[in-house]
Amino acid sequence: MYSLALFLQESHGEEGAVGGPFTLEPGLIIWTWIVFLVLFFMLKKYAWPHIVRLTEERERTIQKQLAEAERLNEEAKASLEEHGRLLAEAKDKAHELVMEAKTVGEKEREQLLTKAREEQEEILNRAKREIAGEKDRAIAELRREAVDLSLAAASKLIQQKLDDAGDRKIVEDYLATLEDKS
Amino acid sequence: MMQTEINIGEILMHHTADAYMIDFGFHIGDTPVRLEWHSWPWAEFSLFGMHFNLTPTKHVVFMLVAATLLFLCMWLTGRILERQRAGEKAPKGFANAMEAFVLWVRNDIVIANIGEHDGPRFAPYIMTLFFFILISNILGLLPWGATATGNLGVTAALAVMALFTIELSGMFKLGFKGYMRTIFPSLPGMGGVGGLVMSAAMGPIEILGKLVKPFALCFRLFGNMTAGHFVILTLFGLIFMFGNLAGWRWAIGAASATLVLGVMCLEIIVAFVQAYVFAIITAVLIGMMMHEH
Repeated sequence: MYSLALFLQESHGEEGAVGGPFTLEPGLIIWTWIVFLVLFFMLKKYAWPHIVRLTEERERTIQKQLAEAERLNEEAKASLEEHGRLLAEAKDKAHELVMEAKTVGEKEREQLLTKAREEQEEILNRAKREIAGEKDRAIAELRREAVDLSLAAASKLIQQKLDDAGDRKIVEDYLATLEDKS
Repeated sequence: MMQTEINIGEILMHHTADAYMIDFGFHIGDTPVRLEWHSWPWAEFSLFGMHFNLTPTKHVVFMLVAATLLFLCMWLTGRILERQRAGEKAPKGFANAMEAFVLWVRNDIVIANIGEHDGPRFAPYIMTLFFFILISNILGLLPWGATATGNLGVTAALAVMALFTIELSGMFKLGFKGYMRTIFPSLPGMGGVGGLVMSAAMGPIEILGKLVKPFALCFRLFGNMTAGHFVILTLFGLIFMFGNLAGWRWAIGAASATLVLGVMCLEIIVAFVQAYVFAIITAVLIGMMMHEH
């Protein structure tokens, strides 16, 4: 029968035969390399670049865009952080300013109040002092007037001391003149 | 009606074997129509104790046909594509189909397995490999065709090329030290003399592993392409073996032809699958080298 064993027999009898499929022919190996390498370089130079050009360009573009997007994202993140930081800073500053203003206002008020109180006190004291001075002066004036009057009265008395009744009359006259004068 | 004894084994071997002859498989009168030539004496020489014969054989002719067809096809595709792009027309037709096919190989076989960075450098090689194997496989299915990829020499040459590509790419990518790591691996958790001894012991195993992979590539392609032809020829052989059964010959013929049709369809799938397998395994092995640490 025709068994598989027959397949392995090499048919050298045939005209032009080189060997069975299982023989390794060095010449054929070299031919394969030559054909493949020539084909490889020809295709690499004349065919593949034209076919894959667009795809490669698209890939490069996408790569570039991805890198760009990455960069922009980084930048946006950085600027967002910066903004946050600035905002927080500004808030802090504003708070500080308000607090400062408050303290200053408080101090100013305190100062004004103190000053007002002091002035009031001073005015009061001055008034009191003036009043006291006026009073003293008035009293002194009054006393001097009284002494003058007494002296005047006494001199009149001394001029006409002989007659008591006359004296009396003199004083009364004098007093009457005073009354006229006043 | 042929009634002579026919040695199907002989026919099988003759059909799949390389030869200085292209048989067109029919007769004019009694003379078979075939292109026949003889070994060129000047193309034979001996080197390093080996005998080389560079006379082109049937398989060389079919490789040249495959290469020419492939180059013309891809060159035309590139030209048409560039013209379509220059005219800013929507891509269409044959060129667009080929573009999609080429890009599928590039993106899904090469870049998917080697990586975004190193992939494009290896793409031309793997694309050439895929389409060359594919066209060679398909040529074998055509009438009067021969399958160059069904010859052990051809697949061995392709596998040796793959081996060199893989190992050299590893050497360039990883540097000499890094490449030696792939032969004498550093073993985590084993330091000192024990680690060195184990590392040295791994050497032969790793080298064997490196050689076995292209060996498998070689035999897988050869086996698949040859087996299909054997099956088809054997099924046809049934006609000649049992065709003299009176009353049943039509049934034998019909059954044989039906089976052959089925196997032929299968062979078309196999032609694509084997080209894909050869290309993707080469890509995977290169990718493993690229990502070795």
